[in-house]
Amino acid sequence: MSVWGTGILNGMRISFRNLLRGPITVKYPHEKVELPERSRWAVEIVRDEDGSHRCTACLACERACPDYIIRIDVTTGEDRSKHIDRWGYQIGACMMCGLCVEACPFDAIRMGHDYELARFRPEELDVALLTDTPAAGPKRKAADTPADRPERTPVQEAAQAAPESEQDAPREPEHD
Amino acid sequence: MDPRHLVEHAGWLTDTPPTDVGFVPASLRRAPMGVDALDTERLIVNMGPQHPSTHGVLRVLLELDGEEVVAAESVIGYLHRGIEKLAEHRRYNAVGTLMDRGDYVSGIHNELAFALAAEAIMEIEVPRRAQWLRVLMAELNRIASHLVWYGTFGLDTGAMGQFLYAVRDREALLDILEDVTGQRMMFNYVRPGGVVADITPTAVEKIHAFLSTIDTHLDEHDQLLGGNEIFQGRVRGVGTIDLETAIAFGLTGANLRASGLGFDVRKDRPYAAYDEMDFAVPMSSDGDCLARYLVRMGEMREAVRIVRQCIEGLPEGEFMAKVPKVLRPPVGEAYAAVESPRGELGVHLVSDGSDTPYRMRYRPPALYALQAAEAILPGTLLADAVVILGSVDVVLGEIDR
Repeated sequence: MSVWGTGILNGMRISFRNLLRGPITVKYPHEKVELPERSRWAVEIVRDEDGSHRCTACLACERACPDYIIRIDVTTGEDRSKHIDRWGYQIGACMMCGLCVEACPFDAIRMGHDYELARFRPEELDVALLTDTPAAGPKRKAADTPADRPERTPVQEAAQAAPESEQDAPREPEHD
Repeated sequence: MDPRHLVEHAGWLTDTPPTDVGFVPASLRRAPMGVDALDTERLIVNMGPQHPSTHGVLRVLLELDGEEVVAAESVIGYLHRGIEKLAEHRRYNAVGTLMDRGDYVSGIHNELAFALAAEAIMEIEVPRRAQWLRVLMAELNRIASHLVWYGTFGLDTGAMGQFLYAVRDREALLDILEDVTGQRMMFNYVRPGGVVADITPTAVEKIHAFLSTIDTHLDEHDQLLGGNEIFQGRVRGVGTIDLETAIAFGLTGANLRASGLGFDVRKDRPYAAYDEMDFAVPMSSDGDCLARYLVRMGEMREAVRIVRQCIEGLPEGEFMAKVPKVLRPPVGEAYAAVESPRGELGVHLVSDGSDTPYRMRYRPPALYALQAAEAILPGTLLADAVVILGSVDVVLGEIDR
């Protein structure tokens, strides 16, 4: 810092040096940067090779969601089989925290890589990921369970889910 | 003929300054501080909430006498989302999503503060690898946060180009954080018990690539802005906060260290793995905007040193302690503080034994910095008010909560 102005000239030298290198940005709609594996964007249903889903309508994701934006309408038949009427998901209110995916015991949902979520009409933000589909049965689930995960019987599942639903029941009015 | 009397008050033309105020160079061509030569009306100016230099939605009411600030009052609350209240209705593993949105520039530190408080109540032993991963991510986030401050501080002082240089480096950091945590700003990564996921091999590669360039880039930043004589003239001796004021207002972090007290939570009350790290705490005793600039630039270099140590000595092991899926801490309360880029960020957590906190108090360091800045604004010029507010590094998401 001997002579006044050397710092300014030095800054200009750096600016000029950067003028000579290539761009570090990409032209977005034409080029796209590949997302990392773990990137969290809109929730999507995991489909097996035959196109079937793994959701058993256990509602673990609905309970885990901090924004209360997942709503699964389920009808239980006389033989206790579950039928998913609508797997509702509001993209517009989702903050992509990934807690629903962590809560899912069957890996039935995952955080997708679709980040172009703008819609023309607000109604389109409220999507149904599954409509009018029978829920995956416990038998199917047992066959799909990866070897590293300890297998649980439906009775154990129910026992685990029960105290949580009791806890949540009186809280419901606060959420609305 | 001297035409100046046509546009200026005759009293200003004197080359000898009045004796009761400090020396004012005649070349400045303005009324001496504290002398209302024209006896003009005072002007109330609203700075913000849409002013670009208020870093968000801060509104400062300035009472001006000419160009001089007579009184300043900040109006906050435009970004209030009720994080503390919302936390009472979130399970312990979901509160991190709210904390991210507090100080949105350094989310990892916010999550870490909450996780430490919850762990203190539950007495969870966090695995060593998780501690190191927390430090690694926190320091990467600290550099990213300081780069945002560096860029916007340049904008406040009138420099434009270096903001883009800062964003270039921050982009590399956000890519690393996205690779490890899944998102670029709202990480939701640090939870009570450890961290959600281990570091990825691609992230390690990216960190090595970042470390190979960051030193030259930091030199570039130092020369672009810090070495610029115009910038130095703009910030030297401006907005001096003396140590007494700093302590009285509860300043922490770089603002306090620039005023001459070397308090750093990482050194004085070590958390995570900071007691195993070798780093220095940059200090200055000038207390002006230049001192705050130099302290923060020094902190970035120290953070790079810590990142190097973390990536070389990352211990093997688990990244998450064995914790139940739904956390129910016993009845009790705990306070945990971390050194966020803005200062001591504290979380006081009260548990009533249920699965949601009974009360969460969030101590935002920028709130105290804003109050100190407000106190030193009277007597400065309007143009310096922008620089002073920029130099104390306020983030409104944290202040309004």
